[in-house]
Amino acid sequence: MSLLDPILDLFRGKAVTIPPMDGALKPNTALDDGEVVAAALAPDNLAVLRGVPIYSSHREIRQLGYDHAVVGTCPADVSAIAVAEDGTLAVGLEDGSLKIGDRMVEGFNGITALAFQGNNLYVTNGSDHFRPSQWVSDLMHRNASGSVWEVDVKGGQRRKLAGGLAYANGVVVDAANNRLIVSESWRHRLSAVPLAGGNATEVLGRLPAYPGRITSAPRGYLLALFAPLNRLVEFVLQEPQYRADMMREIDSRFWIAPTLSPPHSFLEPLQNGGVRSMGVHKPWSPSRSYGLVATLDNALQPMTSYHSRANGRFHGVTSALAVDGAILATSKGGNHIISVQAGEGAS
Amino acid sequence: MTFRERLQAWRYNYIPDHVIGEILSKRWADNAIPFLALVTVIAVFGTAIPGFFNPFSLLESTRQLGEFAIVVMGLTVVMLAGGIDLSVGSMFALSAFSAVAAFFIFHQPVAVAFLAALATGGLFGAANGYLIGYMRLRAFLTTLVTLVIGRAIYDILVVNYGSVIQTSTASSDVWDFIGDGDIHGISIPVGAAAVLAIIFHVALTRSRPGWHILAVGGSRRSAHNSGIRVRQSVFMSYVVSGLCCGLAGFLIACRLSGAGPGTGLNQEILAITAAVVGGNSLGGGRGSIAKALMGAIIVLVMNNGLIRLGYGTGTNQMVLGIMLAAAVILDIRWLKNRHKVLNEVYVAPVYHRMGETLSAEPGSESPYALNNRIANTEYIGLGELEGPEDVVLDRDDNLYCGTRHGEIVRFFAPDYRRSEIFAHTGGFPLGLAIDRDGNIISCIGAMGLYSISPRGEVKQLSAETDRSYTSIVDDARLRDPNDLDIAPDGKIYFTDSTTRYDAHDWVIDSIENRATGRLLVFDPKTGKTKTLLESYRYTNGVCMAHDGKSLFFAESWACSVHRYWFEGPKAGTAECVIKDMPGYPDNINRASDGTYWMAWLGMRTPSFDLALRSPSFRKRMTRRLPQDEWLFPNINTGGVVKFNERGEIIETLGDMTGQSHPMVTSMREHKGYLYVGGILNNRIGRLKLENADPDWTGANSYWGATS
Repeated sequence: MSLLDPILDLFRGKAVTIPPMDGALKPNTALDDGEVVAAALAPDNLAVLRGVPIYSSHREIRQLGYDHAVVGTCPADVSAIAVAEDGTLAVGLEDGSLKIGDRMVEGFNGITALAFQGNNLYVTNGSDHFRPSQWVSDLMHRNASGSVWEVDVKGGQRRKLAGGLAYANGVVVDAANNRLIVSESWRHRLSAVPLAGGNATEVLGRLPAYPGRITSAPRGYLLALFAPLNRLVEFVLQEPQYRADMMREIDSRFWIAPTLSPPHSFLEPLQNGGVRSMGVHKPWSPSRSYGLVATLDNALQPMTSYHSRANGRFHGVTSALAVDGAILATSKGGNHIISVQAGEGAS
Repeated sequence: MTFRERLQAWRYNYIPDHVIGEILSKRWADNAIPFLALVTVIAVFGTAIPGFFNPFSLLESTRQLGEFAIVVMGLTVVMLAGGIDLSVGSMFALSAFSAVAAFFIFHQPVAVAFLAALATGGLFGAANGYLIGYMRLRAFLTTLVTLVIGRAIYDILVVNYGSVIQTSTASSDVWDFIGDGDIHGISIPVGAAAVLAIIFHVALTRSRPGWHILAVGGSRRSAHNSGIRVRQSVFMSYVVSGLCCGLAGFLIACRLSGAGPGTGLNQEILAITAAVVGGNSLGGGRGSIAKALMGAIIVLVMNNGLIRLGYGTGTNQMVLGIMLAAAVILDIRWLKNRHKVLNEVYVAPVYHRMGETLSAEPGSESPYALNNRIANTEYIGLGELEGPEDVVLDRDDNLYCGTRHGEIVRFFAPDYRRSEIFAHTGGFPLGLAIDRDGNIISCIGAMGLYSISPRGEVKQLSAETDRSYTSIVDDARLRDPNDLDIAPDGKIYFTDSTTRYDAHDWVIDSIENRATGRLLVFDPKTGKTKTLLESYRYTNGVCMAHDGKSLFFAESWACSVHRYWFEGPKAGTAECVIKDMPGYPDNINRASDGTYWMAWLGMRTPSFDLALRSPSFRKRMTRRLPQDEWLFPNINTGGVVKFNERGEIIETLGDMTGQSHPMVTSMREHKGYLYVGGILNNRIGRLKLENADPDWTGANSYWGATS
């Protein structure tokens, strides 16, 4: 009957589908079961500075240690950080400014991720329309104005490598293949961009969640996926009128849209499956938020994954980092930093 | 309101889309395709064959139709019981021969010939029925054997006695009248078929044996488990088929005054094709006499039409075969996909703009501001209970509640640790109230209004009200009886929330938002139920006002509370007391200080309110997404609201953690405590009230203190 489907769809409506979480991405509770390293306010980007893990939290950059010592405080919320081999710290801010060591580089709109390689710093500019904290608006406008840039650390010149990305939201250098791996959140995929510049090509598609920052790990890469795909959201993305009305009339916290944190307010939308029944919130229910970290091999295929499911706490993982055999993850929506032992997830 | 919104409001509120789903959910919707086929066949052959509609031609061609229809009806009864009868052609021929032999050879009266034909058909049918019903042989093979043997006997008899019959001098006016005459243009076979059709229709749809046959065909095992005598029903179905063949055989004997080698030849193929083309399922259990008649007309008109147009036997058989194949495929595809089609078209949302509301957010300074006062209740029945929609306490302080397993559970005072199953109702007990004599009256979801005596005996009070003239679904049936309360004179006022959805699909009614809720009254003196008010968006809780002359009822999806007077100057009228609340109201009950408690089952969300203004969006949502993904109102947060007769909000209790009482559907005050229930919860909460009268009970408030 598949031949008839396109005709029947006109009458019955075409089903909205999303890729399942299966195979290496089969759900588990590894993130919720992981070790809580620290409670922190909206911890965002992890990096290692002089052997010590650091993370960004609103305007501050702190060390992950006993006292959470403040490494630096910025004039605006930090949207991305990276550390070079020589210890130079690069910081991107909410207002689009980029600071490498002491040098300021101008011209970006929303820096979402940074990665050093030799004398170059690679920058993802999420969108030309919205700041990083307004990522939901960028998604709901269905923009594709993200770009990847190469900045010469010494000279400060910048060069655009690829544009037209549907929210560039993570970057890592694949030196062996002379390319960058970039997360394209709104297309639910990872793309490769040649170091010399050129078109982005898909290397891992049909992800069941929105990919965010990506980092190198001993046997490949670590990918943080900050929110799940949701069929109702996908449906709303195909409903221009409702979406426009929603964005015009409703506070963005209460939109039918992905979010980083588990439900806070009764004004947030609820889906049938998410109804609490007999005291139980079903972990497999449709959810606007989720916690997910995936390890990828060198060919960028998922190997294992670490989840915090619909009923979990540690949602909205925006950054993951391999440190001494463990994986550190920032649950921005759950206000915690968690550590899981590599290999604990489903493989 | 923008022009676009106005357009949507007009389009979805005045064009009754819901009718499509309601028609499709009717059993008779299955007749649509065979009926179209019938009209097409008659139109095509009626124009192709000159003189088709000529009265004389019609009279003659319908004689054959009458006989054939009788055979098809008998076969349909067998098919409805889940069997098949291939031997109809043989039985038909042998019955005809019996009649002819009795009349022409033995010179018996017509009545004897008639009985001989019936006896022959009945005997063969009984043989089939015995072998298949009691001996449990395969229907297909058994009737194939009867077909072959019957045919063989018939051929032998015709060869040996054909000449005797032809040379016989017997004659009778009655015999000729049955064969040739008509009463006001209706021939005897057609009249007989019509009478038989009415009898069969009534028997199958309204009599015990008929229901048993349908049940056996639908599911043999379930029928057996529910106590139906399956073997007897199967046996009877073959006897009926045999008797029908006997009657038809007698009629053809009268018409032809003889029996030739061609009588009844291949009749079984025609009959089976007719039954299936009419829409009777080969699997049994689904079908009707109307379908059998339509099938008979289609096949016969087609068959005779092709012959009259000069096509040969081969073409004829080919057309029949193709029709049979098409009907079988259509039958199976439709059977498999009907519920999917129904699911996709049933929800027919309407436009509704909710009024602006005050905030219920904690710290918002609004009277509705929720807090955490019911977050730490003392739990009753945690882990034992599932779905206590309502709670009620008797004069001895024992607590009763319904469960989704259909039970009414009693928790014993004073600590409510011990419990017993007080009564089993078989439905989902929702609203509860205790009458003057201590009976528990309950609205039982999908069943109706029931009374449970203090000894635990369950009795139905009401399951139906008046049917409205324009409804397609049976709105006399109580589909979602929800809450009730009892007036001082003993009349029971209760709500039936929606006529569109069954009790367990109650939230889907909010997506559709069609105003079909009703307020009803049951009078125990007459035993009659009357509809008082209709067209509300999900009528829910009911509570007698303290004056005993009026009641409050909740209109959930409109977030309103109304007051209805049944006595006094305003009798028979309703007015809105509270409107545009931020939560969806559920049950309402009396408070000890002369005010009222109201439960909130959930909270409005901006996204859902916006969706209510876009019916096309909701319609596409229900078609394109599976039900688990649909946007719902936020029923994960509820609350308890206290209000007075003027509709002023006195206080609001909530559970922002969502751990104890995410959704609240009822609360009952009793001796200084508040008991909180929830239809999707697994516990009842008990909360000490600070300023409540520690001696106040509902029983005393309603029926006065006992001495």
